Order: sequence, then structure tokens, then C-alpha cells
Amino acid sequence: MGLAMTGLGLVVFVVFHMLGNLQLFEGPHALNGYAAFLRDMPIALWAARIGLLSMAALHIGLALQLSMRNRRARPVEYTIHRYRHASIASRTMAISGMALLLFVGFHLLHLTAGVIDPGFADRRDPEGYRDVYGKVVHAFQNPFMVVLYLAGQLGLGLHLSHAIASSVQTMGFEHAALNRLLKAFGPVIGLIVVLGNVAIILAVFLGIVR
Amino acid sequence: MKFTLNIWRQNGPDERGRLITYEAPDVSPGMSFLEMLDGVNQRLLGNGEEPVAFEQDCREGICGSCSLVINGIPHGPDQGITTCQLYMRRFSDGASITIEPWRAKAFPILKDLVVDRSALDRIMQAGGYISVNTGGAVDGNVILIGKDQAETAMDAASCIGCGACVAACKNASAMLYVAAKVSHLATLPQGRPERARRVSAMLEAMDREGFGSCGNQYECEAVCPKNISTRFIANLNHEYLRAGIVESGLPSEPESPHAESS
Ligand code: HEM
Ligand code: SF4
Ligand code: FES
Repeated sequence: MGLAMTGLGLVVFVVFHMLGNLQLFEGPHALNGYAAFLRDMPIALWAARIGLLSMAALHIGLALQLSMRNRRARPVEYTIHRYRHASIASRTMAISGMALLLFVGFHLLHLTAGVIDPGFADRRDPEGYRDVYGKVVHAFQNPFMVVLYLAGQLGLGLHLSHAIASSVQTMGFEHAALNRLLKAFGPVIGLIVVLGNVAIILAVFLGIVR
Repeated sequence: MKFTLNIWRQNGPDERGRLITYEAPDVSPGMSFLEMLDGVNQRLLGNGEEPVAFEQDCREGICGSCSLVINGIPHGPDQGITTCQLYMRRFSDGASITIEPWRAKAFPILKDLVVDRSALDRIMQAGGYISVNTGGAVDGNVILIGKDQAETAMDAASCIGCGACVAACKNASAMLYVAAKVSHLATLPQGRPERARRVSAMLEAMDREGFGSCGNQYECEAVCPKNISTRFIANLNHEYLRAGIVESGLPSEPESPHAESS
């Protein structure tokens, strides 16, 4: 239950994060203005950051605790175990979660803190805003970053494709006719988030956004 | 028909087990899986060897004792049946078949393919009683129950407690079993009065017995011989949430204006 609630909180974040990033397509003014708008509210920004970090920490803690308990529940493995229904995504939640953790750590060091590739950290655009747009464009002209971020999106897609529908079930929602809709709803949200993010990465890499 | 069987042999709960290969030379396609094993045991006895221990009773899919993981799937390749309802014609001649016991911490192996499933009974016990008046049998239809409610309760009640759901689950969770039992009783008026207490007690008992937790992968539903739906798991989660609110002691309104206060 806690895992589902913290997970859904993070889902809300990744959805809005993706929507915010899409402003890249409206040009430097929109994206840099948006970034400045967020940074202009330091109290709200730090409240959101602390909230997100504690949610993530709680999610990871609960996930680890659960995974360990579940592993203990079957001390001797089957010689042959064939799955009939369980999706790959559902069986690899801990792995895709770990991959996400590594990716999020890298992403924060890279684009938020500017520890990786510090050259762009404090550059200003002609309007005097911090040049987030330039930083993103610079990052994704580098094929190494593109591969890394695409891999991160793969992990995110895998994790979300099971996580959202699973949380709906964990929270006890079900309905004879709506169930199919609820089950489809998870992977679709996951896919939208991933496609939005991938569009940004590829648009820069292919030179559509410069 | 002819088969090569890899069967898990283990002398006792604390012994090490391993797969041993046996040949089953003259099997007729109309034999059930358990009859085929009977044949293997006859030959073993004839050779003065220890027969393979496996659990069985009704041999008609209603008792839930036959419990074999066949080629990696509890109750074998067909859906909606128990091991005793599986026929050898389902396999191709000359096939090799691997037979293992249910594997879960909560189901210790007693011998070979027999596991101790009494953890499920203890969960049921933890659920406790339902309110039924003593005395003469009640007339039929004194308590009217809607058709859809009756059908839902009946679907849940068809769980035979075989434990295949646990065996199939990556986390060895007994969630589908508990969901079936909780939903069955919470759907009927007779089970309503203890509904909040029951769901908490049964879920606690499930944890205590060392079962894992539900990851909503729905592998249980895919192997359940009675096709118990995972909708009941959502219902169980819903019941549990409801119990949390009821037991929190917050003041509540009676469910109907005419309900007696409790
Ligand atoms: C953007 C970040 C993340 C989001 C949006 C997210 C979302 C979710 C959601 C909604 C669930 C479903 C809970 C349920 O089934 O009840 C879940 C489960 C899980 N998450 Fe995450 N998560 C994220 C990051 C992580 C990370 C970094 C880890 C690393 C350890 C992780 C590990 C897990 C595990 C192990 C599960 C349980 C899977 C199971 O029940 O089998 N997640 N996640
Ligand atoms: S829910 Fe199905 S698989 Fe699980 S114990 Fe009941 S009948 Fe067996
Ligand atoms: S022996 Fe009773 S269900 Fe198979």
C-alpha cells in the first residue's frame, strides 16, 4: 500500500516533469522562463524537492524490504518455472527500479547540479536567464548521453508499464466493466511519459531542435 | 505411450532433495497423471524400491490435495483443472516430464512431492467464526440474497485450497487464496458482522506463516484450477482498507438508518 502510494506520487511527478520539458519545443524563451519561474519560488521548489526525495527514499526502502521478504518466501527455487501470464515488466520491478535509481542519480548530477559537464551549469541566455535550453541541447548532441538517457527511458517505461495498473489493484479499485480500462491505463500513461521524453532527446540529436 | 520422468525425491523436511529420472514405458493415453504415477510406483515396489510419495484423495478435482508442478507449471499445462484431471494424452509420446513439489517457505516438503499445506488452514482459522444462530435449522430463503451477490460468493467459494496460486507466484504469496475466502464471506450477510476483524486477522496470519506479498502479476489466476479471479484480490485490498477505517475508531454512521447500533 505504501509502495503503491509513494509510487503513484512519483508517477505524478514524472508526468509533470515530462510536460514541463516539452516546452523545449517552444524555444529557449519558454523553457528558460519556465525554469526561472520554478527557481523564483525557492520555498515551493525546496518543499517539492524535499517531498520528492523523501517519497523516493520511502519508495525504495519499502521496495527493498518487500523484495527481501518475497525472496525469503521461496528459499528453494524450482528447477523449471514457466510463467503463463506474469509480464516481464512485472517480474523485473526490482531490477528496473534499481536501473532507474542509477539513472535518476546521474540525471540529477548532470542536469540539476551540473557536476557532470560543469561547463554549462551557469551559462546565461541573452535575456539573462540560466540557459537550460542550451544545456539540454548541448547534452543531447553527445551520442553517449543520448544512449544513456534512452536506456533510462527504457527502464522507466518497463517500471511504469507494470507499476500504475498494479497500484490501482493494490488500492482496491475494481469494477466488472471498467477493469479492462484500468488495466490499459497504466501502460498508456507510461508510454506517453516515455514518448514525450524520447521526443526531446531525439529531436535534439537529429538536429530538429538546435 | 512412453515418457521419461524427472521426479523430485526428498526423504524428509530437512534432507536434501534432487531430481531422479524414471522411465514410464507403457502408459495409455486415457490414464490420468496420477494413474501414470501409480504405474511408476507399482514398478518401483516390484523392484523393492521406495515408491514416490505424492498427495491425492478425491481424484475428481474437488479436494485440492493433488499438488504437482509439472514442467514448471502447477497442475500442468492445461488451465482450470487439477493434476488429477490431467490426462496423459495431453503430452506427446516420448516426452520428458519434470515433476516438482509446491515450493514455498510456508509449505515445507514432508517427503518427495508431498508438502505440508496446513499454513492455509491456519489462515482460515485466524479468520474465525461467522454469526449463525444455534437451534433448529433456519428455513430456506429467510435471508434473501441477490442473484449477483450469490453468484459472486459462489465463485469465490469454489476455491478448493490447493495452494497452486502460492506455488505459481514469484513471491510465494497466498493472496488469491485469502482473497477468495475473504470475498466469499464478506459478500454474504452471514459473514458481514465479523468482516473487518476477519480480513485483518487473515492477512496477518498470511504474513506470519511466511508467505510473500502480492505483486499483482496474476500468475495465480492463470494456474488456479477453479479459475478464481484476481478481481477478488482487489476486493480483498478494498476490504482491508475498509477494515483500517472501521477499526480506527473514528465515529461512523450506521449503514442504513434502520440498522441496529453495534
Ligand atoms: C521515477 C521513479 C519511480 C516510479 C514512478 C515508481 C513507481 C512505482 C509504482 C507505482 C509501483 C507499484 C506499487 C504496487 O504495485 O503496489 C512501484 C513498485 C516498485 N518499485 Fe518503483 N518507482 C520508481 C522508482 C523506483 C526505484 C528507484 C526503485 C529502486 C529500488 C523502485 C523499485 C520498485 C519495486 C521493487 C517495486 C515493487 C514491485 C512488486 O511489487 O513486485 N522503484 N514503483
Ligand atoms: S485460489 Fe485457486 S489455486 Fe489458490 S488455493 Fe484456491 S483453488 Fe487453489
Ligand atoms: S485428488 Fe482431489 S483434487 Fe486432485
